Amino acid sequence: MKHFDVAIVGSGASGGAVAYMLAKAGLKVAVLEKGRLIDRKAFSKDEIAYCRRDIATPSLFDEYHIIEEKVDDKWITTPTYESGWSFWNGNIVGGSSNFMSGMFHRLHPDDFRLKSKYGDIKGANVVDWPISYNDLEPYYTLVEEVVGISGKYQNHPFEPWRSSADFPQPPTDENEVVKLFDASCSTLGVVPLITPRAVLSRNKGHRNACYYSNFCGSYGCSSGAKSSSREALLFPALSTGNLTLISNCYVKKLESTQDRVTCAVVIDTLTNKESKITASLFVLAAQAHESSRLLFNSKNQFYPNGLANSSGELGKNLIFSAGGSGQGELKKETLKMITFDKLMQTGLFLNRSVLDWYFVDDKNEGRFKGGSVEFMFEHQNIISRAVKQCYEGEKLLWGKALGERLVKQFGESKSIRFEVFNDWLPTNDCFVSVDENHLDKWGMPVGKLRISGHSHDLKVGNYIAKKCEKILEAMGAENIYSSVSATPPQNLIAGGCRFGDDPKTSVLDRNCKSHDLENLYVVDASFMPTGGSVAYTWTIYANALRVGEHIVRLFEEEKRKRV
Amino acid sequence: MDRRYFLISAGLFTILFGAKIQETQKSKLFSLFESLIPTIEAVQNHLFPQGGKIPSAKEMNAIGFLKETLLHRSFDRDTRDFVIEGAKELIARTDGKFVTMDENQKERALRAYEETDYGSSWLHRIMILTMEALFGDPLYGSNIHQSGWRAIGIFGGEPRPTSRYCQI
Ligand SMILES: Cc1cc2nc3c(=O)[nH]c(=O)nc-3n(C[C@H](O)[C@H](O)[C@H](O)COP(=O)(O)OP(=O)(O)OC[C@H]3O[C@@H](n4cnc5c(N)ncnc54)[C@H](O)[C@@H]3O)c2cc1C
Ligand code: SF4
Repeated sequence: MKHFDVAIVGSGASGGAVAYMLAKAGLKVAVLEKGRLIDRKAFSKDEIAYCRRDIATPSLFDEYHIIEEKVDDKWITTPTYESGWSFWNGNIVGGSSNFMSGMFHRLHPDDFRLKSKYGDIKGANVVDWPISYNDLEPYYTLVEEVVGISGKYQNHPFEPWRSSADFPQPPTDENEVVKLFDASCSTLGVVPLITPRAVLSRNKGHRNACYYSNFCGSYGCSSGAKSSSREALLFPALSTGNLTLISNCYVKKLESTQDRVTCAVVIDTLTNKESKITASLFVLAAQAHESSRLLFNSKNQFYPNGLANSSGELGKNLIFSAGGSGQGELKKETLKMITFDKLMQTGLFLNRSVLDWYFVDDKNEGRFKGGSVEFMFEHQNIISRAVKQCYEGEKLLWGKALGERLVKQFGESKSIRFEVFNDWLPTNDCFVSVDENHLDKWGMPVGKLRISGHSHDLKVGNYIAKKCEKILEAMGAENIYSSVSATPPQNLIAGGCRFGDDPKTSVLDRNCKSHDLENLYVVDASFMPTGGSVAYTWTIYANALRVGEHIVRLFEEEKRKRV
Repeated sequence: MDRRYFLISAGLFTILFGAKIQETQKSKLFSLFESLIPTIEAVQNHLFPQGGKIPSAKEMNAIGFLKETLLHRSFDRDTRDFVIEGAKELIARTDGKFVTMDENQKERALRAYEETDYGSSWLHRIMILTMEALFGDPLYGSNIHQSGWRAIGIFGGEPRPTSRYCQI
């Protein structure tokens, strides 16, 4: 059996970043990925396959989660095969990063010290991070260069400082609607910012620039422009000859002694054969909820409550991203400033964010941590937009009237959407465990997610959503609505293995190494005690590069000692 | 045995017996479907009729799409059962006469079915499946010559798929 220096579980954003750092430094690395490798050419814009069936995620009848939610003061348990509410986000080589929209922001320096800055919030387990923005800043910059982020630096009071003058690539092209957007913002005294995108606006090595395919989020990218783990990190890592990428490889559990992980027990999902993979060091990068699950499923005589769980903190303080979304329609007959033809030009982005309410000091509402907003076109999927039109009030609309409505809706209007991101406060009622009575098709207990949002999250989300509705009004949009709820977006998941300096209150140390086992790291968003008020994949990438560099140093020190 | 209990206790055996069960189920399903197809087709044709601004279910072979979709292993099996049960229910409610009714009778029968929660969800599901046919990629056998896309002036993105369901 081949022995690796490092075995990484999961090939998504975090796993790819660590693999990249290690393979470049000459270490022999294995990436164990349960999903298959999809060829870049197969990333078509097939709405049926990618958005309406489980092509890139497991069937919920084979692998599912148990979700616990509070309804009328009682915890109600529902398996996702019953609800259809999937917590899988992309289980192929490259993970969810293949399907992201790539709207990227750094966390603000105060996100690293939320407790010191804003104090306790009743019912929330807020703590400061053990590292600061200054510690992570070099890696945010490294992500811009290595993974590829396009954008334009604009000075804003809530934009964090940066060590390089500007982004390595200019922003992606924009639809003319930004003129209307920017003008509408300025009438309200709001500052519109160009959204940094994990999308290349220029060719870069083996990757081609974005060709504005009009179908970005939820689809893989056939030009390599989207800065997925697969394009930006795994392929360069593979080209070193040091990375062995093992797809269709489901990791059931890790085996360990008191101090060290000894092997990963894996199943080849094509042959159903079980085997063991050994390495000197193991890195978990399975996305936050699944990494905690894997540790629970790896319990043994030394760690009866779950591997690396001497603190009892494993799985706790699971967080998502709070907030909500809203929408309004720009209509042909009432459109201002730009022509309807320009608005309907497909593919180009409405690349705008608003950070004005990241920290709020409002004479009526008080001083509190707020959030960020992304503005975009409504997702361009045709079937899902058509399906939205098939109700007239409570009744279904069919026949010729439906046809007329569809032609008018698609031909004479375009919807602008906003998404609000604010902190999902960590609480005792939001955590992941496993359910021994529910087994996936490999016979392993499935992850059980108790989900509950803090009421403060809703207050913040609503505050910002109302401001955003005003922007849509100023643009002349009609049928404006927004919805803020405690239902989490299942594609932004963090926490469960908090990092911290005290082994009694955290699972990982500041380098994301288990406090308990000397050769076990967790590098997906599990480490995050708080999630910031942005979509946080830039932070996942940056932290994984930081941990990757730390692991390289360890191996180098080890080597020096041996010489 | 309720479905949840069955799944829990059967969890470990799925790998051993899964494929075989699926094959037998498929042929059973196929014959069951054949008997329900005329009713489902008649419903689709009523909801998406000829002579409107978008192509009709009939012209687009939406029933062919529906049949193949429901039998594909990527399709949610609960939803498939629901489509079958809902069609049986409509047949029962209309004493097996739905297919031969005139358009006014069909409208009344479907609006009456819509009054029930079950019927409303079922009709919505048939509408979704028909819209998938009309506005999905032509590779799936409907949206012939992109007529669905042409009618609304919006087209699927590039690259277009070259195999259904990304070859799974
Ligand atoms: C549609 C969509 C849009 C998004 N848009 C944005 C955005 O605009 N901005 C943003 O910041 N973020 C966005 N995200 C979120 C972003 O994709 C994730 O935050 C990020 O990919 C998480 O990285 P990860 O490494 O933790 O997990 P992933 O990238 O999901 O990778 C985890 C991998 O581990 C594998 N795995 C899991 N369990 C096992 C096991 N037991 N054995 C072997 N392998 C296993 C999985 O198959 C998967 O490939 C979006 C996500 C989606 C789905
Ligand atoms: S080409 Fe551009 S818009 Fe299309 S998926 Fe790639 S990055 Fe997204």
